[in-house]
Amino acid sequence: MTAADVRRTATADARETAAVDKGPAAPPDVRRTVRAVQEAALGWLSRNRAHFALGDDALARDGRVDGSWKPLGELAQVCATLSVRTPASDPLHACVRDLLAFAWRQTGEGALFLEVQRAEPFATYPLEVYAAFASAGLRHPGYERAAATVAATRGWRLTEQLPTRRLGVLCAERQIGLRRDDNEPELLARTWLGGLPEPWTFERASGYALTHVVFHLTDWGRGGPGLPPALADHLAHWVPAWLVTCLEGGLWDLACEVAAVAAGVPAAGTDATFEAELAGAWARIAAVQFASGALPEEDGRFAAEVPREETVPRRDGAPASGESGFRLCYHSTLMAAFAAGLTLARWDDPRGAQPPSSPAPGAHHGGMPLTHRARRDAPVGTRTPHRTTGGTG
Amino acid sequence: MASAEKTVEEVRIRDVDLEAVLDPAEADGVYRDSRECAALAVVSGGGSALLSPPTPRPKKG
Amino acid sequence: MKQSGTSALLQGAVQDLASGVASALRGGGHPSREPLDAPLRPTGDLDLAAARVLGADLLLPGVLDHTPPPGARELDLARRAFDAYPPPATAAPTVAWSHWALGRALHRVTGPSGTAPAPGRVPEPGPEPDASWLTGAPWPSLTHHLAVLAPLALPVEDCALTRVARGRTLDVARGFVRAVRRRDWYQAAGAGRWLTVLPDVPHTLGLPGGLDFVELMGGGDSRVLLQVRAARLIGSGVTV
Repeated sequence: MTAADVRRTATADARETAAVDKGPAAPPDVRRTVRAVQEAALGWLSRNRAHFALGDDALARDGRVDGSWKPLGELAQVCATLSVRTPASDPLHACVRDLLAFAWRQTGEGALFLEVQRAEPFATYPLEVYAAFASAGLRHPGYERAAATVAATRGWRLTEQLPTRRLGVLCAERQIGLRRDDNEPELLARTWLGGLPEPWTFERASGYALTHVVFHLTDWGRGGPGLPPALADHLAHWVPAWLVTCLEGGLWDLACEVAAVAAGVPAAGTDATFEAELAGAWARIAAVQFASGALPEEDGRFAAEVPREETVPRRDGAPASGESGFRLCYHSTLMAAFAAGLTLARWDDPRGAQPPSSPAPGAHHGGMPLTHRARRDAPVGTRTPHRTTGGTG
Repeated sequence: MASAEKTVEEVRIRDVDLEAVLDPAEADGVYRDSRECAALAVVSGGGSALLSPPTPRPKKG
Repeated sequence: MKQSGTSALLQGAVQDLASGVASALRGGGHPSREPLDAPLRPTGDLDLAAARVLGADLLLPGVLDHTPPPGARELDLARRAFDAYPPPATAAPTVAWSHWALGRALHRVTGPSGTAPAPGRVPEPGPEPDASWLTGAPWPSLTHHLAVLAPLALPVEDCALTRVARGRTLDVARGFVRAVRRRDWYQAAGAGRWLTVLPDVPHTLGLPGGLDFVELMGGGDSRVLLQVRAARLIGSGVTV
């Protein structure tokens, strides 16, 4: 090797290092903050897990699904992702596996899904909750057969839903291997995010719509078909502004969801401001997390009822004292743990937003075009260049 | 404007911290989100939803 | 916003001046809506202070092509405000920059190709103030300060401040989004005006619609209206 070769190699190496450095990285103290938020949140969730237990009303005709199956499904979803995105050697891995096992037991290890399906065969929520478990390898073949029978009907496929909700059902079907020939690109284009809205039209409701579109496309941070390039560009450009205004407006729950989305934006498309904003969000989230580990959902919203210090049910499965407090912060606390895990995973993986394993055939991450992706790119139009010239004129 | 008033005004202007006006702090943000009005979808007094489907009530057993 | 009585008086005077300029930018006639040959009415401290606050934008119609030149009153006000309020050595950078910008505008409109009616060329202002404080500023702070210094957002303006801004288009675009979400219309309008002179603005920002929205929501404030109209003119390709 000549001296010139050495120089060239050194330059190439430096460029490569610079490219990696430009991507995700965080000072150790920020990393510690994120980790502390996650540990505290998971601690609170573990100590309060009895609140997630399914009561008798889970199968009752008049039972409130939003207060039973929804929280349990969300717990399963977050833990399913964290169990994949956390190294097995990490104590938090055991913690989320425990929570997942607890949640699975609540469903009678899947048997309850069959019962719900008998009562409400065309409801989509049982499938969505079940899919969270299935994605973590907890499956019930009997329920899957039954779900496949119903899902094969035209009536099921024609269920009228908002596009974002429909993407959720498609994501769930994908988890258990049900395929349907739905027009996903067209569906995606009709969502707030997929239509590439003017970023200054962002509000609370559109924020929740956008985070869920991303969660569905990425199978809740585990992979999935991934983000079409135009959508990834849109997020790389505008997530910093959305994230910071959620934080400034005290929308902690939504801020965590947007941070989770940010953690999944391909690192190659982001810039220093993007990475700094994601890192900076954690000091603010940490500052509002209660000593108990619970995170309030929003500033000023029933703040007095949120369990600042501790709310521990007397025993597992006991009638929950502090039930209203639990309802007011369980979701934001779950989202804090979720977003923290995805943020740390982004920083741990030099490639950024890439899950450790390939979840499904046809899936792609961070700029590896595959057939399925090409089809998905269509809804949001042709690829958006990062920047175009001209401003208004 | 009467001259007395004018004088008062000019004295006051000298008191204004013009530097603070020229280098203002950022205004506080106002966060309020658009809502949907569920009432538009409800028949007044009837209690049933006009634009949303009725909730099915399966028979027991 | 809480204001003392005096500060409210001053803001009212600034609004009056801004309203005249905004009207001129729309082709609504002479900024001060007074005939050119009208005798100058005496200016008090309030007028001078208001002129200093509005700054270089007082002369904006004379700086941009296809808009009416500044009247004798504006020019007189601008000159006297420039002289009356030199920034102290300890002045904040925005104070120094807005003063420099006023001097720059006076130099432009009284120059050979200037449009000012009054004779007597105003020389170039002194050396540019320092702009390094903005180079590494977080993007929300960058946008806030640029919005305060929106009078410098002009086509072909080349100074240290515009060079910093040109290197941070995406951050200013994000600042515009944040300002709209905060309902800070003045900041949004100023950031929107900057974006019309910055390169590579992402088209997904939807700036033209954004300016319409800012006018709809905040156009009752003449200073907001002035910035929105300036942005539209500059964005439509008007030259200096």
